[in-house]
Amino acid sequence: MAMLDIKNLTLEISEGDTTIKALDKVSLSVNSGEIRALVGESGSGKSLIVSAICGALPAKWKLTADRMSWNGENLLSMSTQQRREVMRRDIAVVFQNPQTSLDPSVTLGEQLEESIPEEFVKGQWFWQRAKHRKKIAISTMHKVGIKDHNTYLKSYPHQVPSDIGQKFMMAIALVAQPKLLIADDPTRGMEPTTKTQILKLLTRLNQTRALSVLFVSHDLLAIASMSHTMTVLYAGQTVESGKMKHIKKRPLHPYTKALLDSAPSFRKDLPPKSSLPTLKGSIPTLQHLPIGCRLGPRCPRAQRECVVTPSSRRIHDHIYSCHYPLHREVK
Amino acid sequence: MIQVLLRYVVLFTITLVVLCAMSFSLAYLFPGDVLENLTGISPQNEFQRAAIARQLGLEQNYFVQFYYYLERLLAGDWGYSSASGLPLLEEVSVALPATIELSTYAMFMAIVVGIPLGYYAGVKCYSTTDYTLNSLSITTYSFPVFWFALVLILVFSLQLDVAPISGRLSLLFDVESVTGFIMIDILLADNIDHGLAIRDALSHLFLPTVAIGAITTAAMVRITRRSVIDVMQRPYIAAARSRGLSSWQIFFRHVIRNALLPILPLMAIQITTLITNAMIVETLFSWPGIGNWLLQAIYQQDYPALRVGMLAVSALVVTLTIIVDLFNRLIDPSRDRFERGTI
Repeated sequence: MAMLDIKNLTLEISEGDTTIKALDKVSLSVNSGEIRALVGESGSGKSLIVSAICGALPAKWKLTADRMSWNGENLLSMSTQQRREVMRRDIAVVFQNPQTSLDPSVTLGEQLEESIPEEFVKGQWFWQRAKHRKKIAISTMHKVGIKDHNTYLKSYPHQVPSDIGQKFMMAIALVAQPKLLIADDPTRGMEPTTKTQILKLLTRLNQTRALSVLFVSHDLLAIASMSHTMTVLYAGQTVESGKMKHIKKRPLHPYTKALLDSAPSFRKDLPPKSSLPTLKGSIPTLQHLPIGCRLGPRCPRAQRECVVTPSSRRIHDHIYSCHYPLHREVK
Repeated sequence: MIQVLLRYVVLFTITLVVLCAMSFSLAYLFPGDVLENLTGISPQNEFQRAAIARQLGLEQNYFVQFYYYLERLLAGDWGYSSASGLPLLEEVSVALPATIELSTYAMFMAIVVGIPLGYYAGVKCYSTTDYTLNSLSITTYSFPVFWFALVLILVFSLQLDVAPISGRLSLLFDVESVTGFIMIDILLADNIDHGLAIRDALSHLFLPTVAIGAITTAAMVRITRRSVIDVMQRPYIAAARSRGLSSWQIFFRHVIRNALLPILPLMAIQITTLITNAMIVETLFSWPGIGNWLLQAIYQQDYPALRVGMLAVSALVVTLTIIVDLFNRLIDPSRDRFERGTI
C-alpha cells in the first residue's frame, strides 16, 4: 500500500469572479521506500502540490480530493493537531529557496535544534538536554556534509553560502527522522559537485534508512539516475506516471516524449549538431488554460476529442492520460 | 561593533552641531538685538554692551562667534530668560523632565497596550476581531489631540469628577524639585505621606497620559498589525509550519522578533509625534512642561528662551531617535549584511 496516496487532487483558486483550477485531478502516490520523481516545467504546479501536502496553502483556496491519505489516514479531514503531528514526525519538506525559508533573525543552530522532536533528546535536566540536542544537531550536520559545524551553528542565514543553506534545510528536514522526505527542487542553483553530494545523500538515506523521497525537480538527468518511479505534470494535470525505466524506454504520452527528447543525454541516436526537438509554444499561464487536455494546443497528435479531459488509463502500473497515446496509431 | 558605535556617535555629534548652528542662526534671524537674543541681558550702558560683545566675540566673524557659542553651551551658560531673568539652563531643566515624564508614561502605555493588541490583530488577521481593533485604532488615530484632550477634561473632570482638571500635584503636598520627575521627587521628599502623594500625582497624570498615549497607541496597533501580517506570509513561517511546530512555537520563536524589527524605527518616528502632542496637551492641562514653557515664551517674545527651548527639544528628539536606531541595529543580525556584502 502506498504511504502517501493522492487521488484526483483539485485546487481551485478564485480570482475575482472566475475560478481557476490550478491543479486538475492530480494523482500521486509514494510507496514506502521508493524515490518518486515529480517532474514538470516551471508553473506546472509542482510546488503547489508540495504546499498542499504540507498544508501550507492559504485557507481561501479550495482544495478537494477523492483521496489524500497518509498511511491510510485522511489528511484532509484530520484535525490541525493530528496534521501537525504527521508533519512533525513523518513528513519533512526541503523547500526551494533556503534564503527565504530560513528565519533571518534566528541562528541556524537554533533553527536546527527546534526541529528535533522531544523524545529524541535524552537527559533529565535542561542543560543535559541542551547538550544532547546540540550533539544531535552536530551529527546531523555532518551527515548532510557540513564539516565546519562550530561556525555554522552560530551563523545567521544571510551569512552562509546558499549551498550550505540548502544543506541546512536538508539537515532540518532529516533531524526528525521522517518517513517521507519531500524535496522541492533541492539542487536548484547548485554547482555539479554539491548537487551530486546532495543526490548521493538522498540515495544513501533511501537505501540505508528506507526513507521515501518525493523528489520535485525539472532536472531530468539528476532524477533519472536516482528515482524509481516518476510522475510527469503538465499545467496542473498529471500526464503520465509509472516506473522510471518503463517511462524512459517507452513514454506513452506525447508530452513525456517531448520532455525526454529535449534532454540530449537520453538520446543515443542524436546526430551531431542537430537541433533538439521541442514542442511549439510555451506552458500556458493559469489565466489562459485550455479546456480538456491542457497540452492540446501544443500537442503534435491532438485531435478533436482532445477538448475533453482524458481519463487516466492504466497498463499494468503505468498510468497515462491521453486520447491518442504513442503506442496507438493516429487515424 | 565598535565601528557601529563609533559611526552612531559621529552621526549624533554632527546632528547636534547642526542643531546648535541653527539655534545660533536664530539669534540673527529673530527680530531685535543680536546681543540680547544671545544672552537675554539688556545692557545698561555702552561699556557693558562692549564688554559683553567682546565676551561673545561679536566683533569677529560668524565662525568664531559660533565657536564661542558652542563653548558657552557646553559650559552650561545658556543665557538668561528676558521675561523672568532666570538662567535658561535652570528653567529648561525644570520644564523638560516634566515633558519627558509625561511622554514616557504615554509611550509606555502605547507599548504595553498597542503592541500586544497589534500582535493579536495581526495573528487573527481579516477576522471580526481584527476589523474591530483596526477600525477602533483608525478612529482613535484620527482624533485631533487638542480636541481629544478637551473631551477627556469635559467627561472625566467636569462631568464625572474623577480626575483633576490641571496641574501636576495638589498644592497640599510640598515637594521640592530635585530631579524634575514628579514620581521620583515624591519618593525623595521626606515630610509627606508618600502613598497619598503618589495617588494624587497619578490622578493628575491620568488624563494627559491618556490624551497623548491614545493616539500613539492607535498608531502602534496599526504598525504592529501590518508588520505581523507581513511576517506571517513569509516563506519561513510556512516552512516552520511544515516542520510541524505549533502555532505558539511559531509565534514566539519566529514571529515576535521578526515583526518587531521593522516596528522599532517606526517607533522612533512616533516619538516625534508623541513629544509634539505632549507639548500641545501640556498647555491644555497647565502641565509645567517644555511645551507650556515655550508657548509662554512665544507670548512674551522671549527670544533667548525660544532659541534654547528649540535646541533642547530637538536635541531630545534626536537623542531618542538615534538611541532607538542604535538598539535596532544591535538586535537585528541581518543589518550588517549591507555593510559587509553577502556571500
